[in-house]
Amino acid sequence: MVKRKMPHLDPTEKQIVFKIVYFGPGMSGKTTNLLYIHKTLTDKYKGEMLVLDTEKERTLFFDFFPVSLGTVQGYSLKFHLYTIPGQIFYEASRRIILVGADGVVFVADSSADRLDDNIEMFRLMKENLRSNDIDPTCFPIVLQYNKRDRNPRLEIGEIERELELYDIPVTESIAIEGKGVMKTLQVVSKEIIKRFQIS
Amino acid sequence: MHLPKREDAMAIKDILSKLVKRSEAITALLISREGVCISKAGNVETLNSTALAALVAGMFSATREVANIVGEDQFSILLQQGEKRHIHISLIGQRNMMIVVFEDYRRIGRVRHEARTIGPDLIRILESREKSKKEDSGDISVPEFREYALNLIDRIFVVGEEENASS
Repeated sequence: MVKRKMPHLDPTEKQIVFKIVYFGPGMSGKTTNLLYIHKTLTDKYKGEMLVLDTEKERTLFFDFFPVSLGTVQGYSLKFHLYTIPGQIFYEASRRIILVGADGVVFVADSSADRLDDNIEMFRLMKENLRSNDIDPTCFPIVLQYNKRDRNPRLEIGEIERELELYDIPVTESIAIEGKGVMKTLQVVSKEIIKRFQIS
Repeated sequence: MHLPKREDAMAIKDILSKLVKRSEAITALLISREGVCISKAGNVETLNSTALAALVAGMFSATREVANIVGEDQFSILLQQGEKRHIHISLIGQRNMMIVVFEDYRRIGRVRHEARTIGPDLIRILESREKSKKEDSGDISVPEFREYALNLIDRIFVVGEEENASS
């Protein structure tokens, strides 16, 4: 495999669009991350947020909103933020949403009893990336330990040890309170920009 | 990934404009499989094309999975019929889709015919620009782009002191 892809870049529309996907097990806080980001950014930077959920407020297909950061070298720089449905049976939807992704935030649930769920979903994510011709070993992935207010909770490093992840950027968050959310977005978007190339 | 030459991109817009005119549609959009709007023509002011592109790309990919389940590689056309407005979506090559929004359902035959007619022209242009994408992006200096973009990220994705979850 596996080719490194470029973002969507269009000289006529003068825009460069990077796609960030918030991945993770069900109820880990992916939508909560997006809702906080959408609430925090001022109107001039953000577009309308789409939330495609079930009547029980579980994500059915995806959540989405665009962020426009401004103009760089004459090009409008944009990030499109997506979440996936975390419930295990939405495998096909997750694969679809990862199409064209430029970076992933893996939102892990820090609750001690959810270690196995986090690990299983991380492995599924790697499979989904590979099925989209993306090599997960050289792709921007940020591991966000969410729900740091839970007790008992996972120690930082537990997920990395189980999955033998080396050098993965890690953040901590309590997304429901907004803590660590913008930091995570900053880390993943910088990881993406640092790897930006025209090939 | 799409890097159209300027003239190719203008040609795409012209083709879409002709389709809109001939089929009396409201608007036509060309989108990528990744859900990004590449080009649009007609009355584009009243539609949220960014959201539309994201949703239709997801919908079309989902439909491909459905096709696989019933033993097809893919369905090449999707039609959504509403009360006042209707959407015709067609696959353009393997990586792009065209969305036509129209009002008079009696025009469906015309919409379908025009969509089918312009498909090969769009595919040819998209394939040609794919081949020349590197030279078309010559106006971007990657190191400078990175530097400016990182500055924007620092400025806009602001991390406040109250944000620290580990303290």
